[in-house]
Amino acid sequence: MKVTVLLLFLLVCLEAGASGWGALSDSLTYYGRLGYHIGGTAPIGMPASIRSLSKYDIPANITLALDVYRPLQGRWGLMAGLHFGNKGMETDARVKNYHMEMEQGGESIEGFFTGQVITKVEEWVLTLPIRVAYDLSSRFRLHGGPYVSYVFSHHFSGEAYNGYLRQGDPTGVRIDMGYEPETRGTYDFSSHMRRMQFGVEAGFDWNCYRRWGLAAGVSWGLTGVFKSDFHTIEQTLYPIYGTIGLTYRFK
Amino acid sequence: MRKIQYSNMKFSDLRGFSCFFRHFSLLMWFTIFVCGVFASCFKDEPLNAECDIEAVYVHVDHPEELFFSASDTLVNVLYSDDKVIFRVRRGADLTSLAPRFQITEGARIEPQSGSVQDFSQGPVIYQVTSESGEWNRRYEVSFQVVTRTVNDTVKYDFERFYLKSDKEKYYVWNDLNPDGSEANNWATGNGGFYLVKSKSEPSAYPSTVVEDGVTGYAVKLTTSDTGPLGKLRNMPLAAGNLFIGRFDVQNALTNAMKATQFGLPFDKKPVRLEGYYKYQPGENFQDRDGNILSGVTDKATIYAVLYRNKDAEGRPIVLYGDNVQTSDQVVALAKLKDISATSEWTKFDVAFNYNEEINQEMLENYDYSLTVVFSSSINGDLFEGAIGSTLWVDEVRVVCLKIE
Repeated sequence: MKVTVLLLFLLVCLEAGASGWGALSDSLTYYGRLGYHIGGTAPIGMPASIRSLSKYDIPANITLALDVYRPLQGRWGLMAGLHFGNKGMETDARVKNYHMEMEQGGESIEGFFTGQVITKVEEWVLTLPIRVAYDLSSRFRLHGGPYVSYVFSHHFSGEAYNGYLRQGDPTGVRIDMGYEPETRGTYDFSSHMRRMQFGVEAGFDWNCYRRWGLAAGVSWGLTGVFKSDFHTIEQTLYPIYGTIGLTYRFK
Repeated sequence: MRKIQYSNMKFSDLRGFSCFFRHFSLLMWFTIFVCGVFASCFKDEPLNAECDIEAVYVHVDHPEELFFSASDTLVNVLYSDDKVIFRVRRGADLTSLAPRFQITEGARIEPQSGSVQDFSQGPVIYQVTSESGEWNRRYEVSFQVVTRTVNDTVKYDFERFYLKSDKEKYYVWNDLNPDGSEANNWATGNGGFYLVKSKSEPSAYPSTVVEDGVTGYAVKLTTSDTGPLGKLRNMPLAAGNLFIGRFDVQNALTNAMKATQFGLPFDKKPVRLEGYYKYQPGENFQDRDGNILSGVTDKATIYAVLYRNKDAEGRPIVLYGDNVQTSDQVVALAKLKDISATSEWTKFDVAFNYNEEINQEMLENYDYSLTVVFSSSINGDLFEGAIGSTLWVDEVRVVCLKIE
């Protein structure tokens, strides 16, 4: 629901940007963006406990954005904006002695899992990037800078299957997990996820036809997706996504 | 208005293209790097962290002198076990035996597998260290002289129990053999309940101890709610159970029927199962999906089974939850009918019903296994029952055929 409301709000903003706001200041240019995210929520440097990736799916990760550009001096300028979108992925990885915890309603089984682990991540994020822009040519602009994100909807869950968990430590009780749904171990760490994130992003815009352009970029999270007191997943997982998309210059 | 030179559109277009491609390649490298984070930088496989003994076997020239049957030369070790017990004949020479071990790949065992040890003075301690060197487990390996069941009536009074460990705080019943060694005879599903409700008090487990027995302590079995984790695994309740055999926690959450391994070798012909019980069924009978079935009253179950523990080729056979009463291996069954609510200690006495003649030689070679089973919900193995159903049991007797 929240998602829909925000989406509408952004659309209204875009409309307003197109028609009214542009007239307020001559020095500002407005851009609308529609993009597609590809990437993942992953540790920087794979831990040895993750052995291989059996599957990697990207759901429809979209981003919808409004950017405002102000030239500074010469080729330099500043860009700020409001970006809205989701970052999601689904992986199925083979792990060995991977620390995990199955948790449900205050009860938990914690230990070291060897087998297959499915991870499903989805975050709906509102991002405020502030970037320095540099025009390589009249049509080609590089930009980069920090961003702050507010995650208003988050989901991190998954399953452990075809393997076994050693409870507590590798000498603990061995609990087998099968393939059938009721024999799998499931986990949901959604409630341990962080609301505020920050990071850096960089990219380029290429104005290719009239008001239309192509854009590509990378956003690199510098904060993990989980709160700092969450240690079940030993490695810090960062949201790292590339974006490709269309831009439209309103003015 | 931004000042952009549009004087040479074509030139500008081309410049745009060349810039695009120049920087596109930069970006490609960046993308490849990012993808690399996810896909290509898998580290070398970590060394194994586990250190389990999976099986132990003894090779001797004349196994029949030491063991009752050839299959007794091998003991499969449950992951939850830290005691390995070989059952041997009285008078066997235990001073120089060299057990061989199947352990976790890469792990080391001390003393070494195949080294000659003296088991006549009691258990020998073996330590297994993981391939990674970080973890180790200690095991007690013993050769237990099987003492013949002397009395014609085997008594189970449930007075000897203790908490499993500091971490796993639930009751375990373990009688002593006539020679004072531990029989490790009773098992419960408490180990499975611990997995889903680890913070429970010992008295809140499905199988627990109460003081007001017929004499001394009694066993109290309660069909219990397994909480959110149990529900998650489609095992919404756990019947309180107690049985002769072993409970394999490894299978508790995957294949619960296979977790209950019924029976231990027995050397007499049982004829009657006797004892005392009290029963109070819980209020709401529910099916596996948690639906309350109105008009259904829960029932307890008490039975004993004697079965052949080897197949035609002499391979060991264990009966599980799904076949302990129905297998072709079953020789005799003693089962109480209609356990209804009673708040007073009620005596039960049922005969073993034999399907076939007992073979005296097989009996002496421990080729039969006996189990005695109590459960607070008769369909507890299917996760059906009424939460709160409680069965109390005490002073159980297996009366055997008198041998003159």
